[in-house]
Amino acid sequence: MRELMYLQAINEAFAEELERDEKVFLMGEGIQTGTFGTTTGLVDRFGPDRIMDTPISETAIAGAAVGASLMGYRPVADMMFSDFMYIAADEILLKAAQWRLLQGGTQQLPCVFVANIGGYRKLGNEHSQCPYSMMLHNPGLKVVIPSTPYDAKGLLKTAIRDNNPVIFLYHKGLLPVMGEVPEEDYTVPFGVADIRREGTDVTVVATSFQLFWAEAAADMLKDEISIEIIDPRTLEPLDIDTIMTSVRKTGRVVIVDEDTERCGFAGELATQIMERGFYDLDAPIKRVCAKNYPIPGGIMEKFVLPQPEWVVQAIKDVMVD
Amino acid sequence: MEFGKEDLIKLYVNLVRTRAFDRAAIKWLATGKLLSFYHPAEGGEAPGVGGTTFLRKDDVISPHLRGHGLPHMIGKGVDPKRYMAEHCGKATGFGNGLGGFHSAMDEFGMFGGTGTLGSCFPLSAGWGLAAKKNGTGQVVVCFFGDGTSNRGTWHEAANMAAVWKLPIVWVCENNGVAQYMPIQDAYPLEDLANMASAYGMPSAVVDGQDVVAVAEAVMAAVEMARNGDGPSFIECKTARFSAHGIGNPDKLHGKDRTTEDIAKLRERDPIVLFRTSLLEKGVLTPDDVERIDQEAVAEIDETEKFIDESPFPDDPALLDAALYAE
Ligand SMILES: Cc1ncc(C[n+]2csc(CCOP(=O)(O)OP(=O)(O)O)c2C)c(N)n1
Ligand SMILES: [Mg+2]
Repeated sequence: MRELMYLQAINEAFAEELERDEKVFLMGEGIQTGTFGTTTGLVDRFGPDRIMDTPISETAIAGAAVGASLMGYRPVADMMFSDFMYIAADEILLKAAQWRLLQGGTQQLPCVFVANIGGYRKLGNEHSQCPYSMMLHNPGLKVVIPSTPYDAKGLLKTAIRDNNPVIFLYHKGLLPVMGEVPEEDYTVPFGVADIRREGTDVTVVATSFQLFWAEAAADMLKDEISIEIIDPRTLEPLDIDTIMTSVRKTGRVVIVDEDTERCGFAGELATQIMERGFYDLDAPIKRVCAKNYPIPGGIMEKFVLPQPEWVVQAIKDVMVD
Repeated sequence: MEFGKEDLIKLYVNLVRTRAFDRAAIKWLATGKLLSFYHPAEGGEAPGVGGTTFLRKDDVISPHLRGHGLPHMIGKGVDPKRYMAEHCGKATGFGNGLGGFHSAMDEFGMFGGTGTLGSCFPLSAGWGLAAKKNGTGQVVVCFFGDGTSNRGTWHEAANMAAVWKLPIVWVCENNGVAQYMPIQDAYPLEDLANMASAYGMPSAVVDGQDVVAVAEAVMAAVEMARNGDGPSFIECKTARFSAHGIGNPDKLHGKDRTTEDIAKLRERDPIVLFRTSLLEKGVLTPDDVERIDQEAVAEIDETEKFIDESPFPDDPALLDAALYAE
């Protein structure tokens, strides 16, 4: 099958959905050029009225997406760095997420907020975060974090077709990663986890770029420990059933997630597992997350962001009876 | 403010030093010594240097992002060595190696730079408020780009500054472009200085490639603010000679800036313009020019040595010490 880079897969999903539905349009800073290549070239095909370069006005970009979605359009707001979504917290967390319920469920808000996540570039707190815990904390948003080119394309298409606000977060570290992407039209449904590797001793649930660490750890330990790796792909809706099936088999769980540990997705998932399967567990669940500090600039980020050896250690830890 | 010979030379030296550090940063990024990314100041040095060189040490500045603030730091009298060390991730940097390209040097009235553009405006309002409370004539000078002026935070902070008569000078470094976005598609009027009139603030538009014109305009606004007459706005029309960041394409709306476009901008190099004028006026001799260049090279060498001899931070306990104050 043909291979594409993750960033090309995203670009292709935009192109196909723009082609398919004239209500779809994109707006964001420098998207006609494309800071990360995800939107590069689209303006040549779809014109500046549908691929809109905006002023540096995150609040207005996000708010305009919400407004236009209420009037039947399907805007995609490209927020560039997910860290910049804090600037539009009111628009994304209060307006996009909560509007529909407060109008009694009478409306639709089919908008997508796209942004990059992730560290390991020594850029410091304002260009490195994975701030999806705050999005998960506000019911009403769907949260998508693809880890492969195939999923990136299929999930982005689902996101654009969804009648609810969706946060689509792509990881900077995955942009050049190659993977199989079919030529024909396909989508990937929300709420279906992907079992990336089957195993019987430990369940490792890892998200986005952290799957690399999880797979590296599984390779390293393959002669001693049989590791099952699960990529939830969407955090809301979450495919807890697939995870629980695995947990019942292994009885041991490591959750690897790049967001800050405290009040993060990993803590939420650990609790959900415990509530459903406390008696299936043979060891306490371990989290490998960003430590509870702001992400520093420079090399000190290595003490904060999850490292491959932390994952190896956590897997060994849960194997102890 | 009247500028004497010494003042003019100081401005020139600061411009030359800024250019030298900017070039060094580009080189060190390529060799991996400088970490993360770099957005060169080349072509846009005059607003930062002109707007800071004659400030008081206790005046507060909020540097603009280009050169990650080198023009402003150098003008303000901050030794760029420790900024460069920080940008190279070293423990001897301003932020003990935790800041990256962010920077703070409290003793010089530089309380930090930000990665989210436009957060400079409300923070400057806070610095202005503190300066006003101090009652010692301190002034805040906030530097920002044309693109950054599109943030909503500008309006909240400008209004607050105007209503409370805070001692703030807003200096817009309008280089006509924000990353890939030409300013004429991001603001409907010719001059960004128009933004000031909605809040009753005096404003001026100056040639941002003329470092003396910048210094005159900013210092006049600074005097007003010092005297309790409130905030004002200076727009400097300047230029960006290369792509937004090292490694980025140099595009506007997805189309390449042409070599002719760039050549035209480079005709008005702020350093060349000023040097020519100083040589003509006899303020500098060709020997002076040569010596100033050599001194800048020596300063870079010394900085590089300092960085090379500095250790990387390697103790995670530093994070705990840095997280909360006692
Ligand atoms: C809030 C926020 N939005 C977007 C960015 C990404 N960004 C960094 S620099 C830049 C362009 C800045 O343009 P301008 O203010 O004109 O400054 P210039 O680089 O032209 O001097 C952009 C969009 C950011 N850092 N912060
Ligand atoms: Mg600009």
